[in-house]
Amino acid sequence: MSRLQLHDLQLARGGQTVLEHLDGRFQDGAITALIGANGAGKSTLIAAIMGMLTPVAGSVACQVPRERRAWLPQQLALDLTFPMSVEELIMTGTWPSHGALKGYCAAHYRRGREIMARLGISQLAHRQLGELSGGQRQRALLGRTLMQEAELLLLDEPFANVDIETVDVLMDVLRDMARQGATIIVVLHDMEQLSRLADDVLFLAGGHGRWVSPDSLLDRYAGQPPRAPRLPLTFPESLDAGTA
Amino acid sequence: MLELLDAWLLAPFDYGFMKRAFVAGLALSLAAPPLGVFLMLRGMSLIGDAMAHAILPGVALGFLFAGFSLPIMSLGGILSGLLVAVLAGSVSKMTGHREDSAMASFFLISLAAGVMLVSLGGSSVDLTHVLFGSILAVNTTALVLIATISSLIVIILAVIFRALVVECLDPLFLGGQGVRGGLVHGVFLGLVVLNLTAGFQTLGTLMAVGLMMLPATTARFWSKRLEGLIGIAVAIAMVASTGGLLLSYHLSLPSGPAIILLAGAAYLLSALLGRHHSLRERLQRRASPLGAPDSH
Repeated sequence: MSRLQLHDLQLARGGQTVLEHLDGRFQDGAITALIGANGAGKSTLIAAIMGMLTPVAGSVACQVPRERRAWLPQQLALDLTFPMSVEELIMTGTWPSHGALKGYCAAHYRRGREIMARLGISQLAHRQLGELSGGQRQRALLGRTLMQEAELLLLDEPFANVDIETVDVLMDVLRDMARQGATIIVVLHDMEQLSRLADDVLFLAGGHGRWVSPDSLLDRYAGQPPRAPRLPLTFPESLDAGTA
Repeated sequence: MLELLDAWLLAPFDYGFMKRAFVAGLALSLAAPPLGVFLMLRGMSLIGDAMAHAILPGVALGFLFAGFSLPIMSLGGILSGLLVAVLAGSVSKMTGHREDSAMASFFLISLAAGVMLVSLGGSSVDLTHVLFGSILAVNTTALVLIATISSLIVIILAVIFRALVVECLDPLFLGGQGVRGGLVHGVFLGLVVLNLTAGFQTLGTLMAVGLMMLPATTARFWSKRLEGLIGIAVAIAMVASTGGLLLSYHLSLPSGPAIILLAGAAYLLSALLGRHHSLRERLQRRASPLGAPDSH
């Protein structure tokens, strides 16, 4: 089943074609990694899928209702000086389906608290967005999409500048959402994250897209370039004291 | 003591012109500061000033055609303010220049055109009245107009409030839901124009923006929450407009500047003593220990 399909899609920015002849189906309940170099057209494709960019030719056929589509942009798109708490941000996720005028009821607040607990940010409920770390903010933003009960979720580099623990939490939540049938598209630049998360890969390059399996990509690029070992986050017992 | 309080605070309002000025001040204090808070949060604090100049040619044209008729002058002000907002937005879109540079160009043209029109059609006294207003000269017709426009602003702001908040924080989220951010932005700018038009009779085109921005920027020193910012800004505006009127009455000061200067004094005091980002807070700031309860 696929509720999101691309048909001979051509997209342009500022009169310049960015992508053309793009076809394919995004599987329901699967996580598709969108990869490619900077400027390959990843954000342009996301904008088109969200209905915010009109194709030059071809079409995006999306059967997911607009209020169930969520876009997690890169964090730079947010105004972090705006006075809003984590709980308030998450509650804005009800807005697309709940309407612009109705107040929130007890069930909404209860759901909000459940989501914050799931993401490990209950203690930050009343903290202002501008006071959060990158990882905490990313958890809060994903909380908004959970509140929205998104069935189509597009994430633009969600793991950039976040700690490993947050990456694990976010990946678990995304995997849960996919299991419940959501279609998820994630812009990734990291092979290790791709290996853990992606069921499918759409590779954009030279104005075209190619569907590849994660396994074939990993077989080809595994170990190149060699990855540095992860840095520990806690003091290991065995660590010798320095001489300084 | 009670007699002194009565003489200072209540007795002035035995006069009809003071009662009308008091109600006009309260009406403007309810509508203007919430707009100022959003302008401030969107980094558009000076846009209010630009829009204040933009209504001047329309007010002047209304004055030329109908004399000192507030409804006609207000209508002219609304039309010219909206025209400048639309023109600035269009030029910005067509040329790719930032909206503030287009707005600055148009408001300067508007200011010059407005002053020219008023000078051609009236005396320097009329010009002073249009530029600086006279809250003590508010008659019943003007009061009804100010109260109606203020009520309209509060109602429309309540309707678009959630969309405005989301548009300020994350325009992409709003766009993703099929709501045109430009539409919300346009309605908001329209409310700013409406408010300035309601305010020009009382404070003049140049100072009407003061009651919008000064309470908003002052509130930033006292609250980090949106509701807090709006509530505090409205309270400061009410105190400033009432206090300014009383100062004007007792000390024979011009009323408009007295109101704005009082709001200005609140800003300076808050910058020194406020809870957040003030000089006092910076001097007293201590890092809380790890695990301490959240102070927010």
